[in-house]
Amino acid sequence: MIFEVAIADRVRTVSVVRKGALLHVALDGRMHIVDARRIDESSLSMLVQSGAEGTPVRSLDASVATQAVAGDFDVHVAGRTVPVQVRQAGSFGRQSKGGTGAHGAGPQRVTSPMPGKIVRVLVKAGDQVTARQGLVVVEAMKMENELRAARDGRVRELSVTEGQSVDAGTVLLVVE
Amino acid sequence: MKKVLIANRGEIAVRVIRACRDMGLHAVAIYSECDRAALHVRLADEAWPVGPSAPRESYLRIDKIIEVARQSGADAVHPGYGFLAENADFAAACRDAGLIFIGPSPEAITLMGSKTAARQAAINAGVPVVPGSDEPIAEQAPDAEVLKVAERIGYPLMLKAVAGGGGKGMRMVAAPADLPGALRAARSEALSAFGDGAVYLERRILSPRHIEVQLLGDHHGTVLPFVERECSIQRRHQKVVEESPSLAVSPEVRRRMTTAAAAVAKSVGYTNAGTIEFLLDGDGSFYFLEMNTRLQVEHPITEMVTGVDLVQWQIRIARGERLTLDPESLLTPRAHAIECRIYAEDPENGFLPSPGRIQGLRVPQGPGVRDDSGAYQGGEVPIFYDPMISKLITWGDTRDHALQRMRRALSEYEVRGIRTTLPFFKWILEDVDFKAGRFDTSFIDRKLGSNGATTLQGIAPEHEDLAAIAAVVHLFTTPPATAATVAHVPSRWRDAGRVDALR
Repeated sequence: MIFEVAIADRVRTVSVVRKGALLHVALDGRMHIVDARRIDESSLSMLVQSGAEGTPVRSLDASVATQAVAGDFDVHVAGRTVPVQVRQAGSFGRQSKGGTGAHGAGPQRVTSPMPGKIVRVLVKAGDQVTARQGLVVVEAMKMENELRAARDGRVRELSVTEGQSVDAGTVLLVVE
Repeated sequence: MKKVLIANRGEIAVRVIRACRDMGLHAVAIYSECDRAALHVRLADEAWPVGPSAPRESYLRIDKIIEVARQSGADAVHPGYGFLAENADFAAACRDAGLIFIGPSPEAITLMGSKTAARQAAINAGVPVVPGSDEPIAEQAPDAEVLKVAERIGYPLMLKAVAGGGGKGMRMVAAPADLPGALRAARSEALSAFGDGAVYLERRILSPRHIEVQLLGDHHGTVLPFVERECSIQRRHQKVVEESPSLAVSPEVRRRMTTAAAAVAKSVGYTNAGTIEFLLDGDGSFYFLEMNTRLQVEHPITEMVTGVDLVQWQIRIARGERLTLDPESLLTPRAHAIECRIYAEDPENGFLPSPGRIQGLRVPQGPGVRDDSGAYQGGEVPIFYDPMISKLITWGDTRDHALQRMRRALSEYEVRGIRTTLPFFKWILEDVDFKAGRFDTSFIDRKLGSNGATTLQGIAPEHEDLAAIAAVVHLFTTPPATAATVAHVPSRWRDAGRVDALR
């Protein structure tokens, strides 16, 4: 099977096939031999060899947590929490390049990171905004949090109003 | 005393339940709507609902809590910290209902809860205070009047809520021009947090350390101070890392500071657990800041270096027992302990709150590690309350030993499904100034400011590769029946996964 994995602003192509008890994982053409054991429904123990026979085998515990958007995960591995987006092969290519998150060059979908209430909308549809400009203020856990533009652009699809309650992952507006 | 009602939630309710268990006492929990399945409810002997999720309608409802105490047959109430812990009306309502309040008297709470009255108490006990306004500044006082008081004290200064705590209603003012804006903000914050918009002014001590002294006082006139806690590592005036003892406190300063703390508590007839906070200057002079009339969040580090169970002693004191602890041993740390407060906040994203379901949890274990937590796998972090989910404490023979254990414990700690401040602590513990003990109360804000745009975790391409491999292996090996619930993946590759699994 072939997947595309987007992390930060880079898309990696990853293929995986089973060879006996082992998995052969090719990441952008480089082969990793993985002995994977399931610990529970979201955790794995992986022994990973990333080169010819004789190279060290790394022992890695890896766990995933699902996010509000389908196909998005937090992967916990090597003491770090890495947000990843996994799609079937070809998916990212069909969209405007990198148009899936705040880091790429495409539209930025500003989503609410938590359930809360919209206390202020600081822009109107059609407004020109600059990077780090405040867009919407969401109140949750007794704190007001200002969501900001990741880059320069124009506000499109403003879909919330002040006073409205939103769930985690709700798209509030799009900056293009 | 046989049955204790715990008027709180989260990790501190769990902590108090454990102390009750250790003493053979029954523990009664209360819970709001969203806390039905919270850990403190699950661990208690009895649990009673007290209302909807909003604190005002549940954990702050004095009438309902007293009613539950009566119905359950509890004979004592422990308030924990936060919520009603420093509410004199609650302590009085317990007393009026014939319940033992495990804490100080309502009179002591009222007196020390007013920052200006507490300052006066310190002055009367001969303890130095930071120069500032002697009287509270009324909510309606015009700017011109406040500017006049500020002139006398001198800039930079701190503007603080009289009823304040936890950094709310607090502002730094560098120059007269900033005062009106800061005054508006502090008053409105104080009004919404404490229902009291009165503020006062204090001169700002440059590069101070925040050092505090734990006390226990019994009902027979004995007040005993403990070795100090170092609480300078703060973010937006909220403590995030604490340790004991402090590198900045010499035995001579410790002697003077703990004696001063005990003198203040004695002068107001203080009983049960309390903490006196000081600012420590670079030259060893210290100033009384305020008294917290409750158990502190960071009490475990004191327990770790002295071997004293503070919550158990709170209960024993409330039962009328005499303090039989050896005063010298309380001032002689037997280890070094450090605590990290783990919050459901995303440090990579401006510390945005991150409530939600804890999908997975791996808690560190092994020598020198303690985790005081209200979290469990499958549990929810609600949006209504303080986002602290646990306190991780480590101890060792020396500071380095304790820090090394903290690094190890943090590397084992995993909270999945929500973002937490764990990466933030890993980052602090690698900081060269932190390691050397060179810091003051502005340390975190300064370090975060100079960190710029880079992530705290330092995710390298190699880590991204491993994450990509792990994500793909996870999807590839997930049994098809659970794939839908685990991954919420688009249907086409769920189907592909099924096909592959059948091969």
